[in-house]
Amino acid sequence: MKFEQWNGFKEGAWQDQIAVRDFINLNYTPYEGDKSFLAGPTERTKKVMDKVNKLLKKERDKGGVLDVDTKRVSGLLSYDAGYIDKNLDIIVGFQTDEPLKRGVNPFGGIRMARQACEAYGYKLSDGIEENFKYSTTHNDGVFSVYTDEMRAARKVGILTGLPDAYGRGRIIGDYRRVALYGVDYLIEQKKADKVRYGKNDMSEENIKQLEELSQQIKALEDLKGMAQIYGFDISQPANTAKEAIQWLYFGYLAAIKEQNGAAMSLGRTSTFLDIYIQRDMEKGILTEEQAQELMDDFVIKLRLSRQLRTPEYNDLFGGDPTWTTESVGGMTNDGRTLVTKNSFRVLNTLYTLGSAPEPNLTILWSDKLPDNFKKFCAQVSIDTDSIQYENDDLMRPMYGDDYAIACCVSAMQVGKQMQFFGARCNLAKLLLLTLNGGKDENYGMQVAPEGKQFNGKLDYNEVMQAFDKYCSWMSRLYINTLNVIHRMHDKYAYEKIQMALHDTEVTRFMACGVAGLSVIADSLSAIKYAEVTPIYGESGLITDFEIKGDFPKYGNDDDRVDSIAVDVLTRFSNELKKTPTYRDSQHTLSALTITSNVVYGKKTGSTPDGRKKGEPFAPGANPMHNRETSGALASLNSVSKLPYNCCQDGISNTFSILPNALGENMDKRVDNLSDMLNGYFENGGHHLNVNVLDREKLVVAMENPEMYPNITIRVSGYAVNFHKLSKPQQLEVLKRTYHGEM
Amino acid sequence: MEKCKARIDSIYNGSAVDGKGLRCVIFFTGCNMRCGFCHNPETWTEKGNEITLSELVARIKRYKSYIKNGGVTLSGGEPFLQADFCKELIKALHQESISVIIETNGLICDRELIELCDGIRLDIKNQEREVDKRVFDFLNTCEEINKFVTLTNVLVPALNDTAEKLLKLKDIKEKYSCIKEVKFLAFRKLCESKYNRLNLPFTYEKYEEGSKADLQKAYDLLKF
Repeated sequence: MKFEQWNGFKEGAWQDQIAVRDFINLNYTPYEGDKSFLAGPTERTKKVMDKVNKLLKKERDKGGVLDVDTKRVSGLLSYDAGYIDKNLDIIVGFQTDEPLKRGVNPFGGIRMARQACEAYGYKLSDGIEENFKYSTTHNDGVFSVYTDEMRAARKVGILTGLPDAYGRGRIIGDYRRVALYGVDYLIEQKKADKVRYGKNDMSEENIKQLEELSQQIKALEDLKGMAQIYGFDISQPANTAKEAIQWLYFGYLAAIKEQNGAAMSLGRTSTFLDIYIQRDMEKGILTEEQAQELMDDFVIKLRLSRQLRTPEYNDLFGGDPTWTTESVGGMTNDGRTLVTKNSFRVLNTLYTLGSAPEPNLTILWSDKLPDNFKKFCAQVSIDTDSIQYENDDLMRPMYGDDYAIACCVSAMQVGKQMQFFGARCNLAKLLLLTLNGGKDENYGMQVAPEGKQFNGKLDYNEVMQAFDKYCSWMSRLYINTLNVIHRMHDKYAYEKIQMALHDTEVTRFMACGVAGLSVIADSLSAIKYAEVTPIYGESGLITDFEIKGDFPKYGNDDDRVDSIAVDVLTRFSNELKKTPTYRDSQHTLSALTITSNVVYGKKTGSTPDGRKKGEPFAPGANPMHNRETSGALASLNSVSKLPYNCCQDGISNTFSILPNALGENMDKRVDNLSDMLNGYFENGGHHLNVNVLDREKLVVAMENPEMYPNITIRVSGYAVNFHKLSKPQQLEVLKRTYHGEM
Repeated sequence: MEKCKARIDSIYNGSAVDGKGLRCVIFFTGCNMRCGFCHNPETWTEKGNEITLSELVARIKRYKSYIKNGGVTLSGGEPFLQADFCKELIKALHQESISVIIETNGLICDRELIELCDGIRLDIKNQEREVDKRVFDFLNTCEEINKFVTLTNVLVPALNDTAEKLLKLKDIKEKYSCIKEVKFLAFRKLCESKYNRLNLPFTYEKYEEGSKADLQKAYDLLKF
């Protein structure tokens, strides 16, 4: 098969089947040079950004939500075209008919949609309310099956953030397919698959697959219709760089109109797009300035993506994130760098448009990345605090060279693998549950089976023995809860367009998570190396602990405690694998909290490490605040010991360092940060969020938002505008360790 | 290797301000000076924590991947008080291709140790009195073997930021070609809490902290 739009591309297997990776591999041009070729923003871009900044200010002034369309249910064909300025926009398309106006998506749960409207002073229209009286949502489905035990675990907060009332997200459609093949070819392929599946015996799984295929085909038809509203025919492949970006963006736009998943990530698109840009430049129809302008306009659209959320949701995932994660860089399996000029351009948007938290730019770091690119990344980190890093040398052997990051740290092959997002289990609370014989320390409820009562000084071995039992109880309950959730999500809120942009046969992951890793590691260390005695309250539950003596603390490269963190993760991972999963998905695990470390802390009693009731946890896999006293590298070494092979959904580490502590001038800071990243990843670290900033500046920003309206910081796998965090979240950020001078 | 032991206060892993690149800094205990503006009074005592050579080398090796362009800085306290240990340490680290520099007050001129290390950061103490004569012996040795020397000097406003003191410093710099750079460090009072904790009088409380502008003034005056 051959389209004329493919003229100039190297021929290959990608022409006979959907194989975007093969296309990229054959056609991209690696770039080893420096940033000097980059162009600044055009006058047009500046004009548009001026309008965008005014809109963003309006949104802030209105308390975070500019407008809500309460009359229509969000979907591919629900709204008229929307523009910032029809005459200025180059890449077009918004989720509704106006920028920053949020649509309503009740498929996850009508109550959530209603509450979200009300939180911002709107009322869900009677029409939608009436319609959803007669339909079952994902949330209805889940709660019709939840057992008392599942409800209790959810209520006390040992399992929190479960996607049982909102879209699960963390699925990346291969939006590049829209540009490379055009929608008609994609439909043709899905129809052929449908014929193939039609020949199988009609088992439940086969019927489900056939129903999903028909939904996917319908969604692809709607995708064409959606583009039509903007005056585009995307049935055929894209012919130019501008079209390639537009087609790809339409694919993504359709996904965020259809779904309100927590993380709606973009994938790995910039090097793919570079091929089109390069071809246009060689034809003489595109200049560097125009190429940057195209990427700028694309990124402006991505920055304006919004979902309607409730305040409770914002407590867990602070700062209104969308996790429009774009993975940049990395290497091919045969050792070439996947860095192209467009990898520089997409990072350059942080200068041409100013720093911003979205898209969530994620560098796939390899020891072998070109030095010029490493230095540019380090410079961008120091200047903007807006990008994160993940270890390509660690992930490539497992996922190949065309994977991308969903959300913060979840790797998956684009268009071939997806995950069932499973939020996380609170390990610190699980330890307290163990010590309280299965009762929740706050509610007094018997959540888990009754167990041993502990008296007097805690004995490490006895505690571990009991913890093992509760670990196995928890793991089984956790997987079973997720099975319920994802069965219902598939049934009532299936990701039609995103799965249409996947192979029909996909690998699925059951992505579990843990929170409070450093709290449990330090707590167990205290029990082992110091003297810890529980203090009981009137109700017979532990209210606090008496701690005598010192103990090793996670974050100081001390194997005595770091090995406890490794052991806990390994135990939990092994236990999870004992319970079968929905659709035979593979069990994976992450140490990632997003900003929920604050809420988790709030719901957890005092712990044996000396942390008091209600105090926040450290985020992700981070050591507890200010317990790292042996230097930045010691802290990094502790985290890099956590084994990725049992934590394949990611190990998040957020790192803050004062500019002066990183070196005395910009050149030295760039070199030192680059060395730090090289060292961390060589030692097996998985993920690093880098903030190079003064704590004092944040204090000033908190008190005087107008002084730094656009201050961006990395929190846990994503970046936020500091002012969009709640006060407790801001205070937690200030409490963290800022590696500084001795 | 087991028998060779040192007394150290602590190791800080990841300094970017104690020499080139990222560095692990070993703080030896014991000092023959005990300056009133010292940032690390906890290292004055000779007690410290005992550590064997092999333990210390194993510890540093954990950071090899980070410090390829940097290295290890021996600081304190005064590392030259434990010169024999330092020599063995440097030999062992060199076998691991790790570069080592030493921060010193220059009172003890151990030629062998100076030869072994990859650079010297010599802190000139001219705040209260003239530079000690022994420092010149030290510098003469560095000059003879052309050792890379960085002069550091803690600027305490009104004490040693005067034109007179700075010009004398300039003379030293001009006399020795082995001195490749001069770095002024601002006097800070962050360490005051350490003095309180150790029940030591903080005699420099009465002085002002050095500011960025003070440093710039000093650099400008000397055009280093």
